Amino acid sequence: MATLAPDASERAWVRRERRGTAALLAGPLLWLLIFFVIPVGFVATYSVGGVHLFPTDGELSIGDWQRFLSGGSIYFSLFWKSVRMSLIVSVTVVLLAYPVAYFLALCTGRRKYVALLLIIVPFLTSYLLRVLAWKVILGDTGVINSFLAWSGVRQPDDPITWLLYSQFAVMIVLAYVWVPFVALPIFVTLDNLDLRLLEAASDLGASRWRTFVRVTLPLSVPGVAAAFVFVFVPTIGEFVTPLLVGGPSGYMFGNAINDLFTRGLDWQSGSVLAMFLLVVIAALMALFGRFVQVRSVAG
Amino acid sequence: MIRALAAQVLRTKGEGMNDESGRALGRHISRRQLFYYAGAMGGATALLAACRDADTVGPTGDGTTSVARPTIDQEPGGLEVFDWSGYGNGDFYPKEEKQFLWGDYAKATNDTPTFVLFENDDAGYTEVATGARYDVAHPCGYRWKDWVDLGVMQPWDTSLIPNVASLNPNLLASGQIDGKQYFIPLDWGFIAPLINTDHVQTTEDSFGILFDERYADKIAWVDTLNMMVVAAYTLGIPNPWDMTDDELTQVKDFLVSKKGLVKFLWNQSYDFWLAFKKEEVWIGYSWPDTVGYAEAAGMNYRYMEPKEGRISWVCGLGLMADTENYYHAHEYVDSWASSGAAEFLLAYYYYGHTNTDVDLSALPAGVVEALSLDDPTVLEEPRSHPETHIPRRDVYSTIWSEVLAS
Repeated sequence: MATLAPDASERAWVRRERRGTAALLAGPLLWLLIFFVIPVGFVATYSVGGVHLFPTDGELSIGDWQRFLSGGSIYFSLFWKSVRMSLIVSVTVVLLAYPVAYFLALCTGRRKYVALLLIIVPFLTSYLLRVLAWKVILGDTGVINSFLAWSGVRQPDDPITWLLYSQFAVMIVLAYVWVPFVALPIFVTLDNLDLRLLEAASDLGASRWRTFVRVTLPLSVPGVAAAFVFVFVPTIGEFVTPLLVGGPSGYMFGNAINDLFTRGLDWQSGSVLAMFLLVVIAALMALFGRFVQVRSVAG
Repeated sequence: MIRALAAQVLRTKGEGMNDESGRALGRHISRRQLFYYAGAMGGATALLAACRDADTVGPTGDGTTSVARPTIDQEPGGLEVFDWSGYGNGDFYPKEEKQFLWGDYAKATNDTPTFVLFENDDAGYTEVATGARYDVAHPCGYRWKDWVDLGVMQPWDTSLIPNVASLNPNLLASGQIDGKQYFIPLDWGFIAPLINTDHVQTTEDSFGILFDERYADKIAWVDTLNMMVVAAYTLGIPNPWDMTDDELTQVKDFLVSKKGLVKFLWNQSYDFWLAFKKEEVWIGYSWPDTVGYAEAAGMNYRYMEPKEGRISWVCGLGLMADTENYYHAHEYVDSWASSGAAEFLLAYYYYGHTNTDVDLSALPAGVVEALSLDDPTVLEEPRSHPETHIPRRDVYSTIWSEVLAS
């Protein structure tokens, strides 16, 4: 009896723990089920014609998938165009964000969190306003072209026309929007850096550049990778910025999905594109999770 | 007014009942007949008791059946209007939109409508097709049948809209589907190229200017399927609203080959105006409102009357099937159908209005010229082609998406 009592008590404690864990997890899991798993399942079913909402919906078929994956679809080339644009944006943003994060984490001392806040504050304003501000800057009669005309570099009637309504405009606005947010994971990694390693490198005669290349940069790779994914994943499906500043050449994969769902009510084709994008992003996240410890960039 | 009409309907029904009972009681009846009438009266009493919450009997609009409806006083109010920006919500002229478009409504009902906006016809249709419901909606003519086919609309009772008598009968008839007045056509206008004559010289007016390689990067298209229709008219395709597969391929190839000339595709006409004003574009697919802005800004412009014919559009208010504000909605559309609303649309937006009681001499000269209001043939073929229902809309849409994605 004396040996059984603790076991029973332990089992009861374990049961209580499990019940508590289940109760805590139930809410988030239910949320995930209702607002993610079921909708994604619905979209997946729609992509093969398993659901009908409109008279123009097709029958059960994988034809849209075949057309898309066979490479004959114009949307497939659009996808690669979006991948290329997102890659350029992501690399640019990481390159721009790294010095910002480095400065904040290693050079600002006790005021680093205040500085971090100051960098983020402008980005709490309306996204639409910020994009419209870029239209003022990049337009034919905008700030840049006006300056070029004033300085005599260009004639007033010969502005640089590709600054706005172009792929360039989309990429520069996306880069601008994402820099402060992308700086965060890099900042967290650098902030957690063991400064004694930098001192040791210095004591052993390494220059500042060599210390950076051999010590700081390798240790911040998880943050850099996280930052890259942070910007690549949302920008590949972006459609608002291209709509506002992209013009005919800035049209992206996300715009095609949006148009298929809203303009033509071709939800089946739209679902194919949306599911494909989801699978690509999921694969990318899995890859990211395999090589990067999330905890290392989460503070 | 509506209350008076409803009362009249009630009186008419009541008189009918009196006539029947008079005929029944004015002659000798047998015991069997007495039981018959007693049973019928009992049934009618039970029916009336069951329907006691429905105090009035209202017309349905098709003149065939009557539906029990609450009076206007019993309706919840807070009319929800699904509409374009600047058509009452105050986006462009806060004071005037209210005063001219729904001031009469506010006076008659003491109600303030709520506005929910859509960006374009496609977005509006999609929202309703996926379950959104309002009291009144304002789509354009070429989509009306699509809305009715969704089963979400009901016909208006034009006897409750006194200003209907002042509307252009031809345009009013365009709002009928299957013989029922599902839409009250109100605002109309044109689609034609607008050019800045300081920079663009042409020998003839044509939609071809929207595809002219001399003006690369100075052209604005619209981001709707209408660009396919415009391209089809340019290419001489006989029926741009119902093209064959070969014709659609021809249009697609043409648009893809010309897409590089385009600076941007507009979704809001005001965006086009801003670019036109700043001379970022010199040529554009245009509605008349941009003509009004250009006139007010003193620009040198021409609103073309293309040799292929302008495209004319008409939009109108539709009554949604499950509205709880039936009489409020009729008051609202009557307000919109007034001559005051017409003068506002003409003077402020350079849009036409189906109300024909407007004094043209009181309007700005620019709008009369832009819309050729003094010419009764302006809305007739071949000078203008009315926007028409596109039966193969899904195919058009796919091809337009492919043009954009190319």
